[in-house]
Amino acid sequence: MFDGAAILLLCLIPAVISLLVSLVPGKDSESQRMISLAGMLALAAISGWLFLSYDGSVNASRHDLNIAWIPYMGVNFHLGLDGLNVYLVLLTGLLFPVVLICAWGSPRSREKLYLNLLLILQASLFGTFLSQNLMLFFAFWELVLIPMFVLILVYGGEKRREAANTFFLYTLVGSVLLLAAVILLGVESLRQTGSWSFEFSTLYALQLDYGVQLFVFLSVLLACAIKCPLFPFHSWLPLAYGEAPASGTALMAGALSKMGAFGLLKLAIPLAPAVSSDAAPFVILLAVISILYGAVLALRQEDFKKLIAYSSLSHMGYIVLGVFSFQQAAVHGALFQMLSHGAAVVGLFLVLSLLEQRVGASYQGLTALSTLAPRLAVTLMLFILTSVALPLTSGFTSEFLILFGGFQQGLVAWQAGLSPLTLIAVLLASTGMVLGAGYMLRFARVILYGKTGNISTLDDLNPREALAFLPLLLLILWIGIYPAPIMGKVQGAVDQLNAQVAPSSLLPQPKITNTSVNGGANANGH
Amino acid sequence: MPMATDFLYGLLPEHLLLTLILVLMVLEIMRADQGLAGPLFLLTLSLGCGVLVTQLSSGYTLTLIPGEIVIDRFAVLAKLVILGCGTVLGFFSITGSKCFKTWMLLACSLFGGMVIMESSGFISLFIGIEMLSLPGFALMLHGRGASIACEGAFKYLLMSSVATALMLFGISLVYSHTGTLAVADFVAAAWSGGAHNWAAGALVLSGFFIKAAVFPFHAWAPDAYDSAKLPVTAFLASVIKAAVVLALVRIVGNTALGSDAALAVALLSVGSIFYGNVAAIQQSTFKRLLAYSSIAHAGYMMFALTDTTGGRVESLFYYVAVYAVTSIIACACFSLLCRDALHQGDPLSCLDGAYYTHPVPSTILAVTVLSLAGIPPFPGFLAKFLIFKSVIASGYLVPAVLAFAGSFLGVVYYLGIVFRLFKPTPASEIARAALIQQQSQNWTWGGVVIGSLALAIFMLFPDLFHRLLAVV
Repeated sequence: MFDGAAILLLCLIPAVISLLVSLVPGKDSESQRMISLAGMLALAAISGWLFLSYDGSVNASRHDLNIAWIPYMGVNFHLGLDGLNVYLVLLTGLLFPVVLICAWGSPRSREKLYLNLLLILQASLFGTFLSQNLMLFFAFWELVLIPMFVLILVYGGEKRREAANTFFLYTLVGSVLLLAAVILLGVESLRQTGSWSFEFSTLYALQLDYGVQLFVFLSVLLACAIKCPLFPFHSWLPLAYGEAPASGTALMAGALSKMGAFGLLKLAIPLAPAVSSDAAPFVILLAVISILYGAVLALRQEDFKKLIAYSSLSHMGYIVLGVFSFQQAAVHGALFQMLSHGAAVVGLFLVLSLLEQRVGASYQGLTALSTLAPRLAVTLMLFILTSVALPLTSGFTSEFLILFGGFQQGLVAWQAGLSPLTLIAVLLASTGMVLGAGYMLRFARVILYGKTGNISTLDDLNPREALAFLPLLLLILWIGIYPAPIMGKVQGAVDQLNAQVAPSSLLPQPKITNTSVNGGANANGH
Repeated sequence: MPMATDFLYGLLPEHLLLTLILVLMVLEIMRADQGLAGPLFLLTLSLGCGVLVTQLSSGYTLTLIPGEIVIDRFAVLAKLVILGCGTVLGFFSITGSKCFKTWMLLACSLFGGMVIMESSGFISLFIGIEMLSLPGFALMLHGRGASIACEGAFKYLLMSSVATALMLFGISLVYSHTGTLAVADFVAAAWSGGAHNWAAGALVLSGFFIKAAVFPFHAWAPDAYDSAKLPVTAFLASVIKAAVVLALVRIVGNTALGSDAALAVALLSVGSIFYGNVAAIQQSTFKRLLAYSSIAHAGYMMFALTDTTGGRVESLFYYVAVYAVTSIIACACFSLLCRDALHQGDPLSCLDGAYYTHPVPSTILAVTVLSLAGIPPFPGFLAKFLIFKSVIASGYLVPAVLAFAGSFLGVVYYLGIVFRLFKPTPASEIARAALIQQQSQNWTWGGVVIGSLALAIFMLFPDLFHRLLAVV
């Protein structure tokens, strides 16, 4: 009955609300804010409903919307819920009302431009995650950049112009090759099936040469490595995260970075399975370097925002590590880490933004938050503990699963005679957990438990803000305490992912180059 | 044998334009109110578009003069594109001009464009191309006292004449061997090998590249565009470029070029894209930026010539239509935002902070500029996608990747415009708030609205031209 309706609403509501907000007269008013919040809450409700009702069987295509856009090119406006994006849909739906409510205290949340930018950003994110057509995915992938660019440009800090330009242009570099790869895949589809098609289902079934797979994999890897970001493409991170407005930074860290990981899951691995399994050790190496590099840099940071930004770099490394371990537990862990990190880092940045609203730029000098504003301190501490991966929080569930799965995989590979690179990488990543505890708890000590300094009074958490943080905390605790039912939702997708790369991994096979490799079960044959 | 009514109905849009020109001449002699000219122009063009739509939907095709004038699906569609762009441009031009001659010259140019589209022999093609280009020269001079206008117009005239001469050389070379002036025979002969055919092909391509301002034949474009008033620049950048590219498509059709010709075209296109985008980054005035960006866009359009899969005509139609309409809208929005600055050499700095005082034209300008940059999901991206899918499918992956890299450079300066729109400057806000809205601005608004509607249609139905041409 509801076949495509819920998905359609997810895309329509932001557009309609944006129009309504634009039509209300006046540059800023209370009613515009209320309308936007109502829209975002509706979207959160729909995405929550979709998450809860999704039952995880791979063939469940109940939630699917397919409208032909350029029929003769096989480009369709095809959105659908599947195992890979169900978590991210929940995350996107959940984050935006939280961000808006936390921004309620600052005057910019009443401005039309701000609200419209948030709504367009939300619609683009939904489009990216739900997209089941490669060209549509690419279109939304780039579209996300525009509202973020304007957000940084208009509402950012001192060096916002430089930051906005860097953010946009750096991220766009990745898409130069990505577009070529996308079109090349369409050409392959033309050659093999006789008609252009950019549908993922068609593209996954193609038999691609190793050379084509290599080009596709490298292009996608570059684009996603810039997006996440991963070392060594992370240099835009401190500038953009530092200069963006608080809500912008929260959304960049919480939602946009997940696009990078999602791209790897959706594009790189299924479209180039042979190259993925061959390149996995190197990508894992990059991920581990990101983990350690981000952690070491975070240890040295005095600026709170930059500290959390580098911690975000570190945590994204875990996600990529989990994905490329190609092991049940690790991939589950990576998917959970997307949710957990999304919630935690958004919580951290939003608490910082609340502090900034209260005392202005001197919030960097806060030292005794626990005495001045105990409720705020407790909230901050909860998010810090999630980041540290304390058991009973989602951070522990995800990082433990990733490291456990990665370790298993590394051990099996080493025992089968392949290089111990994966094993060493996972061991190094485990030390990253210690470093994570190091910088996060140092952050907690500095901001929460110091002696009272210049600032002597601070408004504590008010009920509105507490209500905003509640969903994030509930999500963190739910995944931390009882994740099993949620894991069932993505089990099908995880199995499919591993099946696509399993045959050519681990077994000691001679390297076969320049042969068509089927992304399925017949890696040996041709 | 075509009857007299066929001549009337088949060429009805052309007849309407000729009537318009005559009426305008009479009105000028009678010293009638000059405010009549614009609406009359728009009325005639709208009627012409209506006739063409009727012809299109009824699948009207006719060989009027065998070997010279053939009205096929391509012709009707191309004429519709030209007249449509002319209509949108007409809305924009009403604000600037108060003179019958401007409209007469525009109508002559459009008439030439239409003759090109239905030509199947080189006599009518040549007449059309000349009629298209020459009024531009007069338009650039008309009503301008500045010597810079003469300089730009002279450059345009000289290069245009050189281009025409090159084309004539090429056509004559082929004529001397084949004895016919039919366009189809030219294409068949030119790619059939032999030194004179190779030379003929090179000459004709060079002539068209000069007219379309492709690197390295682009040198006239920045000065010519800069020296004219903004509506005329919009006209040069949109309608004339569109007509020239479609003329080339009329000649070449979907026939694959020889491999060395295709390679040369690919190299020149990539060079054009890089040169145009890199040079545009350094510009600080709007018209010069538009000129260099149009050099880059000519590169994208010419890239489609390398296609061997048969998708050339429809992808170029789409690209040309989107590019022309987008350019006109961008110029119109710029003039809405920068009324004062236009008289002091349209510096880009007049856009600073424009969003805060005029949100709607600023948003439209930002969207059109991002569309020109090729950011999805705007029609500009779809247009580039349609061209590059053919190019990559024909095997030119490396030039395509280079072209993407070049288009990335293009994003830099287009983004710079969006950047300026959101840059808050206190002084400009006060100045802008004191602007007096003139009555004639409403016409420009009308043009922007119609153009935006057209772009929205292009965005929602990118396979429009594919379907409309499919009956050919």
